[in-house]
Amino acid sequence: MEQRTVNRRDALRRIAVAGAGVVSAPLWVEALGALARAQAPHVHASTGPSAAAGPWSPKVLTAHQDETVTALCELIIPQTDTPGARGALVNRFVDGVLQEATTADRDAFLKGLAWIDARSTALFGKDVRSATPEQQTDLLTRVSSAGSRGADDAAGADFFRALKSMTITGYYTTQIGLQQELGDDGRLVLAEFKGCTHREHQL
Amino acid sequence: MQQIIKSAHVHPVVIIGSGASGGMAAWNLTKKGIKVLMLDAGERFDRMTFWTHVQPWEARERAARGEHPPRFFLDVKEQPYLTPDDRPFELTRVWGHGGKTNVWGRVSLRYSALDFKGADRDGWEIPWPITYSDVAPYYDRVEQLIGVCGGTDDSDALPGSRFLQPPPPPRCGERLLQKAAAGLGIPVVAGRRANMTRPTGGFPACHYCGACGSGCDTGSFFNSADHLLPIALRSGRLEIRSNAVAARILVDDKGLAKGVQYFDRKTGAEQQVLAKVVVVGASCVDSTRILLNSTSPRHPNGIGNGSDVIGRYLSEQIRLHARGYLPALAGTSTLNDRGIGGEHIYMPRFNHRPGQGRDYLRGFGAQFWNTGASAGGAHEGSDLIPGFGASLKSEIKRRHPAWFEIHPYGEVLPYAHNRITVDQDRRDRYGVPLLKIDYSIGENERKMSDHMADTMEEIVHTAGGVLVGYTRGDLDKNGSAIHEHGTCRMGADPKRSALNAFNQMHEVKNLFVVDGSAFTTATEKNPTLTILALSWRATDYLAGEIGRGNL
Repeated sequence: MEQRTVNRRDALRRIAVAGAGVVSAPLWVEALGALARAQAPHVHASTGPSAAAGPWSPKVLTAHQDETVTALCELIIPQTDTPGARGALVNRFVDGVLQEATTADRDAFLKGLAWIDARSTALFGKDVRSATPEQQTDLLTRVSSAGSRGADDAAGADFFRALKSMTITGYYTTQIGLQQELGDDGRLVLAEFKGCTHREHQL
Repeated sequence: MQQIIKSAHVHPVVIIGSGASGGMAAWNLTKKGIKVLMLDAGERFDRMTFWTHVQPWEARERAARGEHPPRFFLDVKEQPYLTPDDRPFELTRVWGHGGKTNVWGRVSLRYSALDFKGADRDGWEIPWPITYSDVAPYYDRVEQLIGVCGGTDDSDALPGSRFLQPPPPPRCGERLLQKAAAGLGIPVVAGRRANMTRPTGGFPACHYCGACGSGCDTGSFFNSADHLLPIALRSGRLEIRSNAVAARILVDDKGLAKGVQYFDRKTGAEQQVLAKVVVVGASCVDSTRILLNSTSPRHPNGIGNGSDVIGRYLSEQIRLHARGYLPALAGTSTLNDRGIGGEHIYMPRFNHRPGQGRDYLRGFGAQFWNTGASAGGAHEGSDLIPGFGASLKSEIKRRHPAWFEIHPYGEVLPYAHNRITVDQDRRDRYGVPLLKIDYSIGENERKMSDHMADTMEEIVHTAGGVLVGYTRGDLDKNGSAIHEHGTCRMGADPKRSALNAFNQMHEVKNLFVVDGSAFTTATEKNPTLTILALSWRATDYLAGEIGRGNL
């Protein structure tokens, strides 16, 4: 076997690093993202299959804010061949995370939510909820990392990052996200663990 | 002033703590016919209430109904500790029967001759007073008792696979990392884990749900509360006193231990129990706090601390993390990768091999937890994928089965200034001085972390991986490996160590300290298997000394 010493300091330059160069987010954005990840199993928000039938009302968000969040979450993780964030009740998860958040982090989020409605109104004469799908997509593109962002939209970028992080955590911790979309078989008792059986992966 | 309730009964042995070290001590001593009183700072966690098989959305439903899983971890608000403002230390404690073994990582690696001879070789601080051959028979017994799975791929860095149960095969991503490392001349072997892959000790084999971190409701990995304490209780010779927060070792006028002062966690009442022998196994940091708070005219510096070594030489481990995905696996179908919670492979230390070394002392190994399809949601870093919408959703799915993580652990040298002390001016709710941790790493660790980063990057490069959210050299917070050692170390020289080769205090012959604080060096490995072996060995000696009339 070839013996090589592992001492090349330039190794990193030869590896692809995804997500490098991402500008660090303000504390509240990091805090809400981390809270969602840490509390995914613990927030008080039913997103299970039985939850869809029952009545629910948000604890933190107003009805208007909840509808706005629902629309934005669905834009982030839309329905494809599997349901999107709306079908997975991710808005309930977001409301649950906001219940657990500090007042300052919650206020920063709600301020961002108000900003994006105001921005929508300024651009299209309609708030997020009432805008067309094309207008909503245009709006999110302006604040997402993929969009070229003018000074007017920079303020919305932090809000978008926070909501995107919470949406991803929420969606993929539902049965729809984990099992239907990602294909997890959900089995928790296996008599045997087979592991990797691909011939080309063996040593 | 609260009333002190003092029992006149003198117990043959009092053990403080019920985790790996205390549990083993109680199991072994009661087996030998010795009566034991065990003090534990918490209560029994009921295995039947663990949230082992709860999907994340089910957990939210339960939380919405006001339910919660067992609260394993001690709230720092209940029992604070102090650190300098610019040197934080993450301390994780479990107060309750079984201690941290309820939720531990289960990586079970024998220390090798290489590990025990580290200081002999490089001269940094004192050598261990014991060798691999002293401990090997105890490793044999521990592995058979608790059930450890692993490969037959022994080496000078990782010996002794004779009694291991068959390991689960690696996940796809683990195979690819193993293959890449092999190409670099770095062996990555089957992980050695205290998960039973065969029925053991009346408990069923692991069923690969991957949720070990929530505690195992079938008792299929080693937990002192399942595998040691019930046997000791059945002997009729163990009494466990719950919610007993040990504060001080009491001494007689000859300076020997005569009992333990503790506080009832529920009522705050002070209590004292008397004993002929005291065994301390409260986990490294809390044991050290108890010893340092045990001051008396004979032991003004803390019991058995004439050498001033107790509290010093705190040795944790440094950690780095690399995470990302392997394009070779991207877009493949999602498998059920739960398996044993954590990795099925391990990279033993290799820097002692010709041509693989660098100019620093000691070494590092690596774990690979979270590699494979996650069962708990999208992988960390999914929010770093640009954009939104169908393309984001599709990319998250594509990367899902391809995720990998590499987590090297490196030894931190023992330094006299890395120190636990107690602060007379800051008291806990019982009026006992709070512990203070002052810990930092040095030049040797920085050089080692460079080698750790290079190694991860080389493996990733060779495997064709893409790193996600990676910052080179971003060391984990001090304390986060939860492997504290060294603050009551064993050694041959009483001037430079607190314990002899049998975990017995040089200065106080009826006091034994059997947890990680007794370790002379941290090594790069996870300590629990060695804690179990050394506690068994120490209590064999202890029982012998009782039999010989020496205690």
